Amino acid sequence: MSTVILETQNLTHIYSKGTTSQVDAIRDISLAIEKGELVGIIGHTGSGKSTLIQHFNGLLKASSGTVLLEGKDIWQDKKNIRAVRFKVGICFQYPEYQLFEETVYKDIAFGPKNMKLSEEEIDKRVRSVIRFVGLDETYLDKSPFDLSGGEKRRVAIAGVMAMEPEVLILDEPCAGLDPRGRDTVLSMIKQYQKDTGSTLLVVSHSMEDISKIATKILVMNQSRLAYYDTVDRVFSHAEELQDMGLNIPQLTRLFMKLKAAGYDVDTDVYTMEKAKSELLRLLRGGGGK
Amino acid sequence: MISDITIGQYYKGDSVVHRLDARMKIILTVMFIVMIFLCKNFLSLGFMFLFIMMAVFASRVPLKMFLKSLKPIIPIVIFTSIINIFYISGGQVLLQWRFITITEKGIYTAVFMAMRILCLIVSSSILTYTTVPTMLTDAIERLLSPLKIFHIQVHTLAMMMTLALRFIPTLIEEIERITNAQKARGADFESGKFIERIKALMPILIPLFVSAFRRAYELAFAMSCRCYTGGEGRTRMKQMKLSFRDFVALLIFALGVAGVILLNIRFGALI
Repeated sequence: MSTVILETQNLTHIYSKGTTSQVDAIRDISLAIEKGELVGIIGHTGSGKSTLIQHFNGLLKASSGTVLLEGKDIWQDKKNIRAVRFKVGICFQYPEYQLFEETVYKDIAFGPKNMKLSEEEIDKRVRSVIRFVGLDETYLDKSPFDLSGGEKRRVAIAGVMAMEPEVLILDEPCAGLDPRGRDTVLSMIKQYQKDTGSTLLVVSHSMEDISKIATKILVMNQSRLAYYDTVDRVFSHAEELQDMGLNIPQLTRLFMKLKAAGYDVDTDVYTMEKAKSELLRLLRGGGGK
Repeated sequence: MISDITIGQYYKGDSVVHRLDARMKIILTVMFIVMIFLCKNFLSLGFMFLFIMMAVFASRVPLKMFLKSLKPIIPIVIFTSIINIFYISGGQVLLQWRFITITEKGIYTAVFMAMRILCLIVSSSILTYTTVPTMLTDAIERLLSPLKIFHIQVHTLAMMMTLALRFIPTLIEEIERITNAQKARGADFESGKFIERIKALMPILIPLFVSAFRRAYELAFAMSCRCYTGGEGRTRMKQMKLSFRDFVALLIFALGVAGVILLNIRFGALI
């Protein structure tokens, strides 16, 4: 049994309560995220993904319901909210726009410095994390504003990783990157999880991206939690997902079409390997019209 | 918080006031200001106040909105009133205690000043609540166009104003986004001494400036891509036309100003 690290109970958030522009951003969300999972958070624009993650480190306070970190209510002690933020790191969408220091080194060190770590520890973390995001130490003395878009993105992500949070949340880490940049960032995330064993939450609206790395998927739909389950099980609801306007991976779609055409195949296919074995099974006469 | 700023805030509606020509609304606001400063006795003050309230109700903007715009200037109102009470002297002495003297005229002036400031805010709020910012700058451009004789680039000024207004909400959103990102990295804006707090703002201000410049460049490129060259020979999508309604409003306001003047003459000046 693995332990639960992050838990929410009946979390509800209402923006501008009592006015005409009242919006229920998230409604009645209860979930438990276990240690070491890599959770993909998926949902349509405006489904409440971003609002949800901002509750995890106390940037937003819920209208009702609680967020538990390691079994403790994060709002139990208001003064302790910064400590919560060191444990739950969030890297927002387009993080390159939050860079501000003169050098890459200083910018990555901003988070650890706020944690009041020793100079040596900060130095160690900055040097290890910059290599981790695929840049070398020559970058440390450059100005973050001289880097390319993809490099800035990686530096910004490194800035959050350097805090070594127990739960790392990345909001659309691949937004606006070209396919190669996207693959680099995705494999970086996967590697980070492997190396540190920490819990990761990755927000995305691309099923394709998420299915490549996630162990579990959390689906948000119209402010509510639709599914929170393993990748296979979530994709077994392919039709419902499509009704929610979510694009399921191309492979899965292909297999659904095959099934609709009368072939006896599984529809929870989302990796090449599975697709291969499933097709071979079919060709060897396992299914057929 | 920061999103409470009501500058250039438009309240969507379809009242008579909303439908008035923006140029006429600016002229009418100027007439309001004339009325506000002409009042010399309580009757004309009351008359002017009723007149403004009429306009408020005609605009169909909830009274709550006006109170919201008055809130930030209440300290100024209180401050000027107190100054006036103590420094203006004349008429009957009401209170004398050591160096403090309060006179009838001082009290009157304080009341008039307070009323004037409040009415000024309300009357200009009517304008901004009922007029889309772009229409407003457009109208300012038209009204100022005679200044072209003096080689003043009226169009450029108006365009700058339009863009500035347009980007206020965008920048507010940007500030919130950057603040959240830095808070997530453990930035502390709430504690520390004055100097430390100012220093703590740097992680917000620098990205904000960088992004403001970026947006400005992008916008400039986008504008020149669409062959924007300034005001010369530019036509408009929305033509402004004065209608019968506008002249009726002008007439009503002219009567208002006349009413204030008449009341002043008939009942004499208090201040």
